[in-house]
Amino acid sequence: MAPMEVDRADGRTSNQLRPLSCTRNVLHRAHGSARWSQGDTIVLAAVFGPKAGTKKEENPEKASIEVIWKPKTGLIGKVEKEYEMILKRTLQSVCLLTIHPNTTTSVIVQVVGDDGALLPCAINASCAALADAGIPLKYLAVAICCGLTGSRSVILDPTKIEEKKILAFAYLVFPNSPISVLPKGSLTEDSEPIEAGIITSVTHGAMPVVDYFNCLDRGYAACAKISEFLRRSMESQAPSDLTKTT
Amino acid sequence: MPIMEHKSMAWRMSVNERKFIETALASDLRVDGRRPFDYRRLNIKFGREDGCSEVQLGETHVMAYVTSELVQPYRDRPNEGILAIFTDFSPMADPSFEAGRPGESAIELGRVIDRGLRESRAVDMESLCVVAGKLVWSIQVDLHIIDNGGNLVDAANVAALAALLTFQRPECTVGGDNGQDIIIHDPKVVEPLPLVIHHLPISVTFAFYNKGDIMVIDPTHKEESVMGGKMTATINSNGDVCAIQKAGGEGVMPSVVMQCIRIASVKAADITSKLKNAVEVYNTERALRKVKRHPSKMAHQVSVADITLEDKQVKDLPRHQAKMACQPYIGSSQDDEPKVDTRTSTNADGNSSGTHADAFVGGPSKWDPYPLRVGTSQVLGTLTVVKEEQVVSDDHRAVECSLDHTTTSSSGTVSVSDAMQKSNTSKSLKDAVKLKKRKKNRSSTTTR
Repeated sequence: MAPMEVDRADGRTSNQLRPLSCTRNVLHRAHGSARWSQGDTIVLAAVFGPKAGTKKEENPEKASIEVIWKPKTGLIGKVEKEYEMILKRTLQSVCLLTIHPNTTTSVIVQVVGDDGALLPCAINASCAALADAGIPLKYLAVAICCGLTGSRSVILDPTKIEEKKILAFAYLVFPNSPISVLPKGSLTEDSEPIEAGIITSVTHGAMPVVDYFNCLDRGYAACAKISEFLRRSMESQAPSDLTKTT
Repeated sequence: MPIMEHKSMAWRMSVNERKFIETALASDLRVDGRRPFDYRRLNIKFGREDGCSEVQLGETHVMAYVTSELVQPYRDRPNEGILAIFTDFSPMADPSFEAGRPGESAIELGRVIDRGLRESRAVDMESLCVVAGKLVWSIQVDLHIIDNGGNLVDAANVAALAALLTFQRPECTVGGDNGQDIIIHDPKVVEPLPLVIHHLPISVTFAFYNKGDIMVIDPTHKEESVMGGKMTATINSNGDVCAIQKAGGEGVMPSVVMQCIRIASVKAADITSKLKNAVEVYNTERALRKVKRHPSKMAHQVSVADITLEDKQVKDLPRHQAKMACQPYIGSSQDDEPKVDTRTSTNADGNSSGTHADAFVGGPSKWDPYPLRVGTSQVLGTLTVVKEEQVVSDDHRAVECSLDHTTTSSSGTVSVSDAMQKSNTSKSLKDAVKLKKRKKNRSSTTTR
């Protein structure tokens, strides 16, 4: 079945992402910081830690992650609390928690601009900030938003206006594709990618199962591109100043 | 059960550092090399929306957002609008800042800025009245402290002023069937109105050392932890003292206070001019952006025009490179934008922000290799040559700026981001075309 080309307001095709930009080490006091923008959605993430001690309900055998979400204007409400919870669980699966038990790492997310796909942008920014802070990670998480239009075609990275019009959308988080030390041939042995595990999937609206799997495929492909970009951006930037003053 | 130790993150200054700072100040030297009455570099940037500003004063980074809504006025002031200032000391600014309720320094900062703006009648409240006694505009200024490098009051004040100066509230008229309905016009249909601001109260902060003998302006975070007392004077460029805040600390001779105020008025004039310049640049860009909006709706018919835009882009690249050369910080961030999506932006600095809307619609038709093959390959040819130089200079700049974190551009963020995108078109043109092809192939295989 040929993919139907959807006419999007900003002229992108259904597979095009908005321009990505990632800058790390933007703040001076934070241990790690990153600013991630996808078009007009811009998120600034800062990481402090590890600090000694954990909260009462956390497991002291492992490190714990604390997320604080700061909206652009207004007070913190239920939406922000939900984002905090999703971000926390996602980052917990990305970090190596057993290395520093009984510590807390704080991740603070500040929304600078919101034009759709806010949570994926925040997840990307937080991972870049964690990497900038030097927190031990298993892999990086790469997030994308896939929307399902009325004509049952999948569009990637919808803007806020598009999010309101489409039938349903899903925020998907995948681990970034590893650079394999195995020869290239073995990657496509079974024509199955190596690590295709979904870390997080949050859906809004109802969509048929087939379309959801469609979204997953597209999302996975797009995440491969984003993880390439992330890897390139981390490699190209000169190593950040390791002796940060607190 | 282990309890969270915030004290572990509380930073304590060592005795050596303290002594060093004090001894240096005794000989008129400051740790960062400034003289006692020098301000750090001030950078004012604006976001895409109205009323959105980002100010960097040395290492201190503050963001301000202004929003408006219609509410009922206070009963004792039925003719006046409402101005509310909300300060958020984000935990990302300083490990000792806690999330949740604002602490005393956050409240003090909010109050000082509020006094400067409201009580000196800087922002005109009566023009915000819509229906006396029933509906007025409430302007809310949200200040987010992102990075605490010292002297938060001054930075936050400039950010609030910058945001208020560029904010535009929607036009509303009283009308409707019974003459009582309020119709709020869509900003795209009717031009929104700027706020009426009579004067700009600029706050200047002084720190005192050695029992009031030594004073410095714009203390850094380390200097603040060593200081004996602090005073903030809010003065406008006319020389009117809007507010003075000296809450405790060491006693200071009145002559010293007078000297501080005199110095503050000089500094205030300086900062006012910087602020006005930045706002003017932003306003011209915004005006140009509005002018360009209409042609974008017809852009997809005009594929020929697209090519001419590209040529212009090529010609302006050298000029653009010269512009980029004086923005090292931008250089580092632009390296990180390989552009999965093929976004174009036309360039001339005036038009750059202007054609965001253009770029959206014109993008794919421009880069689609099939119909316009000749055009794009020619452009690619010319651009590859430029690309090599660009890449070299980028690397050079990237190395420089890893050591220096301060941004140098004081122009709007909009033009900056376009600068990034623009030079990226030169770098990643080929990549962009290739990537897009690959993406199409991948999508077709998965759905088949």
